[in-house]
Amino acid sequence: MERYGAGDEAAFAAVYDALAPRLYGYLLRQTRDASRAEDLVQQTMLHIHRARVRFIPGARVTPWAFAIARRLFLDGLRRGRREVQVADDRDPDGGPSPGVSAEDVVHAREFAAQIERVLAGLPSSQRTAFELIKYHDLSVADAAHVLGTTVAAVKLRAHRAYEALRFALGDAVGDLEKGER
Amino acid sequence: MSLAPLPTAQLRARVLDAARRERVAASGEGARGRVAVLLRGFGVAAAIAVAAGIHGSEAKTPRPLGCILSLELLWLSLAVAATWAGVDRGRSMLGRPKAWRVAVAALTPAAMLAAWLPVAFAWPQTLVDTSGLRVHLICIGMTMALAAGPLIAFARLRRASDPVSPRLTGAALGAAAGAWGDAAHLPICGYTAPAHIVIGHILPVVLLALVGVVVGDRVVALRAEDARSPG
Repeated sequence: MERYGAGDEAAFAAVYDALAPRLYGYLLRQTRDASRAEDLVQQTMLHIHRARVRFIPGARVTPWAFAIARRLFLDGLRRGRREVQVADDRDPDGGPSPGVSAEDVVHAREFAAQIERVLAGLPSSQRTAFELIKYHDLSVADAAHVLGTTVAAVKLRAHRAYEALRFALGDAVGDLEKGER
Repeated sequence: MSLAPLPTAQLRARVLDAARRERVAASGEGARGRVAVLLRGFGVAAAIAVAAGIHGSEAKTPRPLGCILSLELLWLSLAVAATWAGVDRGRSMLGRPKAWRVAVAALTPAAMLAAWLPVAFAWPQTLVDTSGLRVHLICIGMTMALAAGPLIAFARLRRASDPVSPRLTGAALGAAAGAWGDAAHLPICGYTAPAHIVIGHILPVVLLALVGVVVGDRVVALRAEDARSPG
């Protein structure tokens, strides 16, 4: 983004490659709709493109991009354009890796579905904080920027989500809370 | 925790193509535009201040020069500080932390009132004047008129830029613009009685912070359908 902001037109492709997969993963989790997620990724990337004129050299791009994506998603929700696909059985994480047994895949899917169910029952503030940190690799500080709140509040929300998961799923979620930055 | 799904190659081509077709200036060119926006906004305020200065104050007793200069210096410093903390984004594309903007919106009027206190104690004769409701209303209008240019300039600079808390950013912009309006108005207004300072000068800063909330919602907020180019 630094190079793009400074005038290197070709650098936008690199910006896209660095951000789009993460944004897509985040938006796919939120929308449960691949085409809607792609639409939002496109809007987010074009917002980033338009903001090139006022890019601050040295500014961190990831929390900004996630904040834009989240705003666009929430705006879409507000306009009632959300198409909830509760019964959608598609696996947004793709197929199994080679060399993994069918039993492991089934077990992993069941576990993932259990996590999803617990997360779905949480307040959105806790769920979003948890997802940004655990699924999208944002630091606690970056997640706080995206959500417009303090680091302490994000830690608390993520911790409560973790506690809810541990209460529902037991020690199987033991590693989730480790590694918060 | 899991392998991330990937967007399609068609999306990549579509986004890159759309970006190629929509030319946006590099940040260096944008800096010149931002300076021009600020100069225009403050220029309008300066023109109003000069026109009002020529018209002159209705106050019968002129205030001591030291009193005006001291308060002007303090209020100007607060205007600069509010602009730095509330308008400038610092090193983050998302702007300064929320707490800073809350502080700018809430504390700017309080700090301006607090700055007036030592000046009032140093020149106690200025605590009594003949200002009444009419003068209070004139000063409210003048402060808001003088702040309009800076507020429009600040809003243009921050247009479609805040995806997180645009109303709060708008409130900070309003308070900072109000501080500039007051600093420009102070040499023109001839009154410094406590009631006049509170109603004629501090209240407009609070009102401008509230106006800023609306400006934040309408202008500073980033929206899905937003085709506005950022300033």
